[in-house]
Amino acid sequence: MPRRDPPINRVVLTLALVALVTWLSLPLGSIAPNRIVPGTAYTIAAAIGWPLALVSCLPLLGLLALAWRPGRLGYPLALGLTLLLLLALPAWLALMAVRHLDPELPQARLGIGAAWWLALFWLSLLLIELRSRLALAGWRLALLMLPVAVGWWVAAGWLEPLALWQELSGRRGAFLEAVVDHLLLVGGAVGSSLVVGAAIALAMRQNPRIERLGFALLNFLQTIPSLALFGLLLAPLAWLASRFEWLAGLGVSGIGWAPAFLALLGYSLLPMVRNTFVALSEVDPGVLEAARGMGMSRGQVFRQVRLPLALPVVLEGVRITTVQAIGLTAVAALIGAGGLGTFIFQGLGQAAMDLVLLGALPILAMALAADALLGALTRRLDHRTDLAAGAAP
Amino acid sequence: MIELKSVTKRFGGETAVDAISLTVNRGELCALVGTSGCGKSTTLRMINRLIEHDGGEIHIDGRPIREFDGRILRRRIGYAIQSTGLFPHWSVARNIGLVPRLLKWPAARVGERVEELMALLGLPVEQFADKYPSQLSGGQAQRVGVARALAADPDILLMDEPFGALDPITREGLQGELRDLQSRLQKTIVFVTHDMDEALALADRLVVMNAGRIVQQGRPLELLRAPADDFVASLLGGDDRGLKEAAITRVAERMQPLSLRLLPQARVHRDATLRQALAVMFREHADRLAVIDDEALPVGELSLRRIVGAGREGGSDT
Repeated sequence: MPRRDPPINRVVLTLALVALVTWLSLPLGSIAPNRIVPGTAYTIAAAIGWPLALVSCLPLLGLLALAWRPGRLGYPLALGLTLLLLLALPAWLALMAVRHLDPELPQARLGIGAAWWLALFWLSLLLIELRSRLALAGWRLALLMLPVAVGWWVAAGWLEPLALWQELSGRRGAFLEAVVDHLLLVGGAVGSSLVVGAAIALAMRQNPRIERLGFALLNFLQTIPSLALFGLLLAPLAWLASRFEWLAGLGVSGIGWAPAFLALLGYSLLPMVRNTFVALSEVDPGVLEAARGMGMSRGQVFRQVRLPLALPVVLEGVRITTVQAIGLTAVAALIGAGGLGTFIFQGLGQAAMDLVLLGALPILAMALAADALLGALTRRLDHRTDLAAGAAP
Repeated sequence: MIELKSVTKRFGGETAVDAISLTVNRGELCALVGTSGCGKSTTLRMINRLIEHDGGEIHIDGRPIREFDGRILRRRIGYAIQSTGLFPHWSVARNIGLVPRLLKWPAARVGERVEELMALLGLPVEQFADKYPSQLSGGQAQRVGVARALAADPDILLMDEPFGALDPITREGLQGELRDLQSRLQKTIVFVTHDMDEALALADRLVVMNAGRIVQQGRPLELLRAPADDFVASLLGGDDRGLKEAAITRVAERMQPLSLRLLPQARVHRDATLRQALAVMFREHADRLAVIDDEALPVGELSLRRIVGAGREGGSDT
């Protein structure tokens, strides 16, 4: 039989090619003399000179070659090159800062350009592709990412002029507080919506009239734009706080965390109730019949069969709700609820894009992390799908 | 022993089961057959009170089942269904041990019992105990379902089309295993199926239902030879009935001792059915077969005349 070469990997090929083009043509970063003045953009060649720019491209060229002929060792090698590229990313910014920042101007700052962000994006896509090709377990990839994380942490020391860094260094306390506020609001809203939502879902299962009414109400709630809902809650909450002193003592007022919490709870209820309701209703009737036929009591059927089988779908609801709440909480900053949205709106007001990023990037990271963690938990709990691959003949 | 005395069940205005009376003796396998919606599953599920009967009485070992708490009753009665109803989030061993745990057996005894049952049903413990139902084939899952139904060693076993979702080969294999199991365990079994071949192959007593009533009941051969009406006759396969009778009669029952005549080339095993013997004759263009035993030694002979002519009189011709 003739030896067959593995076919060209078009995904890796395309990604490496696109990365190469954007890396060389788009600005790597910009240098601004102070916070407000727009900076001057530099491509990689202008930033660190052609010889080094070409060196920075070498791993990408290697990836191109490997994509053409993956071979037996091709994919592990490609993974190595991708990790190397990721590891090196902050170094190019640091080099640029050393070459172009005027030490006479302490206010000068380094902005991150499109080429850099896009490179991060393409490399993430490459990692996803290579991970699936190599059938790499999540924890192995995390282990491989460890040196990259350490490298970035070390490189952060060289990147003091980075605009993002400078925005942060002025408000470290406020930043930490915003992160904590954000997490508390999200956690509180998702946690209470799980409890309230489960109660509503259980009530709906008892009575079809409650079911229709409940879904109509929650669907209506979902259509109100978030800003409008915050506005709508302002007056009644202010009235309540003026009427009952203990509420005011709790910090309830027309603005602040209370309306934000209530609005988030309202938005979280629909996905939570819908998923919990569907999860509980769609348990295989054959399994429930067998459970009863074996002599389990109603309580035992619910606790040992219906609930555990519904759990993955309920968790799916928690995942959707959490990701949604992380984003919505950013808007809640507008009514003084705190959280990372504060930086976004401050930055927009001051036309300081780096401040906007300081708020937006952690929100993005939180949403991705919540999605990944809860997704992994759901898969772990779901015996109907994850083990089917090993089914006996 | 299970006794149903003019038992009736209505759903709204519809009468699903209409005053049926039926006795299933200890150690007997009773098959309920009929078209879908004839009330056979409802009848089965009234016996373990998954459905409550509206009229008449159901007795188990002489006591009306309403005297028992439904859950207690169901823990004493094995129950196996078509979809297996295995809990997908529990391992095979945990599924099988369900009823003993509900009965609060000590853990060690549950473990022993689970291993015993897995051995009984041909499921090697080390290979299957920790698997999840999604990792099993249809036949394996159904075996686990039967093992679970037998776990607390109930006297009575209710089976609702347990092999209905399986491919024909697996189904036949499991039917054979159930027959072997039954000859050893002697449970009182009520078995619902719409597959007449399955019912004929397994049943000691065959109960044909139509529109909530029992049309005819008796031993399979009785029904085959004297169907009460056209419905039973057509359910039994119409003109195919003869072949179905041949399919539940063993060669050993009809063969003649070896004679001085030369034995024919074509051969059939003594435990084969008359239907298989007919198939061999048809294929080999023979009207006489040599009957052999496990060691392939001839033990008798079987003629077409003997198969056909002996049908009614039970072998009085020569």
